[in-house]
Amino acid sequence: MIDGDLIRKQLLRSALPALLLVLCAPWFLDTYTTNILVRALFFAMLALTVDVLWGYTGYLTFGQSAFFGVGAYAAALVFTHLGFGPGYVVLGVLLAMLAALLIGAVTGWLSFYHGSTPLYASVVSLVLPIVLTQVLFSGGTFTGSSSGLTGYSMPDLSVEDWFRLVGCLLVVLTTVVWLFVRSDGGRILFAIRDNEMRCSYLGINTSVYKIALLIVTGMIAALAGFGYASFSGVVAPELAGFVFGTEVIIWVALGGRGTVIGPVLGAIVIDWSSAYLSGNLPYVWKLFLGIAFVLVIVLLPQGLLPAVFKGFRRFLPANTSSRALKLIQAEPKPVELEPQSLAVELKNVSKNFGSLKVLSDINFSASAGELVSLIGPNGAGKTTLMRCMSDGEERASGLVCIQGHEIKRIAPHRCVQLGLGRKFQTATVFDSLTVGECLRIARTRIDPPSFWRRSAQLSLPTYVLEVLTATELDQKLDVVTSSLSHGEKQALELAMVLALEPRVVLLDEPTAGLSMSERSLIGKILVDLTSRFGLCLLLVEHDLDFVREISTRIVVLHQGRLVLEGTVAEVVDSELIKTIYSGSVGHA
Amino acid sequence: MNLIFDILTTTAILYIVAAGLLLVFGVMKIINFAHGAFLTIGAYASLIASQLGLTPVAGFVFALLVGGLFGLLVERLVLRPLYERPLDAILATWGLAIVIGQVITLLFGREVQFVPSPIRGTIVLLGAEYSAYRLLLTLVALGLGLTLAILLTRTRIGLVTRAVILNEQLAQGLGIHSQLVRFFTFALGAAIASLAGALITPLSSVDPNMGVPWLINAFMLVMVSGVSMLSLLFATLIFGAAQVLISSYMSPILGGMAIAVLAAITLRIRPKGFSRD
Repeated sequence: MIDGDLIRKQLLRSALPALLLVLCAPWFLDTYTTNILVRALFFAMLALTVDVLWGYTGYLTFGQSAFFGVGAYAAALVFTHLGFGPGYVVLGVLLAMLAALLIGAVTGWLSFYHGSTPLYASVVSLVLPIVLTQVLFSGGTFTGSSSGLTGYSMPDLSVEDWFRLVGCLLVVLTTVVWLFVRSDGGRILFAIRDNEMRCSYLGINTSVYKIALLIVTGMIAALAGFGYASFSGVVAPELAGFVFGTEVIIWVALGGRGTVIGPVLGAIVIDWSSAYLSGNLPYVWKLFLGIAFVLVIVLLPQGLLPAVFKGFRRFLPANTSSRALKLIQAEPKPVELEPQSLAVELKNVSKNFGSLKVLSDINFSASAGELVSLIGPNGAGKTTLMRCMSDGEERASGLVCIQGHEIKRIAPHRCVQLGLGRKFQTATVFDSLTVGECLRIARTRIDPPSFWRRSAQLSLPTYVLEVLTATELDQKLDVVTSSLSHGEKQALELAMVLALEPRVVLLDEPTAGLSMSERSLIGKILVDLTSRFGLCLLLVEHDLDFVREISTRIVVLHQGRLVLEGTVAEVVDSELIKTIYSGSVGHA
Repeated sequence: MNLIFDILTTTAILYIVAAGLLLVFGVMKIINFAHGAFLTIGAYASLIASQLGLTPVAGFVFALLVGGLFGLLVERLVLRPLYERPLDAILATWGLAIVIGQVITLLFGREVQFVPSPIRGTIVLLGAEYSAYRLLLTLVALGLGLTLAILLTRTRIGLVTRAVILNEQLAQGLGIHSQLVRFFTFALGAAIASLAGALITPLSSVDPNMGVPWLINAFMLVMVSGVSMLSLLFATLIFGAAQVLISSYMSPILGGMAIAVLAAITLRIRPKGFSRD
């Protein structure tokens, strides 16, 4: 790991001074301020969890306060009803974690499934705190109902020691989060935020990632809540409420979503200044905060801290310490081909939107080493057919087999596991990641990434390396994809799909919008893939000349039916093709 | 009989409250979290009107106008840059709700205030004695629903609006000024919210944060209804009934969260909610 040194240096530069700061600060602060700040430090932990979920993964949650509240009530309930002591602290912590685990799992199951929308996930996150506060209200004397619990025994620590303890914990947590989001595995969060569909067609089960993330961040939030209740000695239902949940979002938004330090500072500064200002100017302060929030969301969506950094960066020399990612050849996997098994097989596949039949009774098969082109006029159902082959939910009836396995009703990421790769019509790559990172995301299924480190190497199969060299993308591994040209994006997406080491690849107009030279390059690569590496390629194309040059077989779709199938010569010269493309067989 | 009236009137109130939010969501695909704040604005508008000695009906009209005016301002100043970022629009409108709530607190104070009901007492209907004002609200809800339905399906403005709902880009291509449609839709949504606030105040009280609980129920109802006024009617009827029944037979606390929980579960099972396609 050549990256190790760099990371260690950066850690030394930021984490150590931070530790020193939290250890020494109590000597310079008065008790009141220290008191306020301890509280703010707990809130900063909560803000970090919201940042990971919202800023990095794109899941806007109003419900992290619920986890915080669960942790706080776990402490208060154990200390009130059972007693206080080291054993009870451990018991309380365990209860808090367990409750967070359960709530996280249920919420995650409700929020994330194949086809759920970001808005729906936010809706569920909104319901969670509402339900929880109602439960706390209805708990009678057990939960203290609306007035909460207070007066339970608490750890015997001075405010200064609390500050040091919580401060150190926060520094550790911040460091861990920082390492995590920068790690190869952490990049998956960015990928999910940028394009969740592309992720699932790269074989990544995004729902599982999000549920796991929700559970882990929920547990961290619960622990922060536990600490908060042990420190403050008061819990109230508002801690678990929706309004508090939105306050956390305000801290994260103002500090800077998608940065690690921004939300921490946001939480600390805002909570600390609230404590001072809300005494003097109670409503005006909140009014000011609301205005600032609206302004930041509208004008500076990335938050204040990144904006400040951007201003500074103008005066600093550009960061040139970019590390070189080394590409290496992956061990070729032995291909366990069942003899005579077809790569793809479709039996009576049909699909309709309402009463409109888009595909009817498609029967078709292709085997390894074939390059089959699907042609037909617009609206013939070509893209729909591809969708039916790669997502089990799509077709209305019929059978689809990939590598001899029926796809039943399985989600795209499981079709990928069967050996399928799909390239979309428009180039879909991850806009905020670099070329190298995109390729690594594509390798997630085969090479599980580390969640702590960044590897300096990336192993790819031979044919991917060849694609990268041919398109000169191997010179651009550290370039962010949003600055690539259209042709480069198309090539990158192809490389990502091939990095899955698929046996069957669906390509939807891979040459759309490419120049002549790019087109012939892609054509050569595709022919190579089938003839040398034995992949089965299915291609949707409009360009008949291109199709004629590279295909081994051509299939013609017209009005949702398979009307012709044969060798290049047979199809291209047939009367049917001429009439379909000149439009006279409209309603045959 | 009282129970049936409870269900009917609860449905009516929920419908009045949610209609404006649905309109905005349908046309703009944006969740307006300032909806609760517009409700509060309407409530205070009717409070001012009653303190000025206006008649209740004049108070309602006043609330409608004030809400519409605020809607125009908000769409122009806050929402316009956010159409491409729907999740951020939720946040910005929530921030706006905080701002509105604080301004109202600064102007009117935190304390709870009351607006007298335009009609008092009860009437006897079908052998049951029931609050006259709540029954009146049912008629108002019917009137509102019909007005919106006619506006959307029978007028040229409605035709244009529906075109924007179905396919905004196509509508733009046909020369429809979708920006203008959004501008006035949001204002109309805000106006209806504000009217709703004025209508519900005689039943409860007025305070700066009164909008929040309403907001969440209305939001959940809109989520399950999709974009149709008719499915909103179904949703409010079913969930309103659930709320009333659970509140009276089990516990009011469970009833309070019935709409949110049931709506979330409905969406998990059937992501399209009550809308037909």
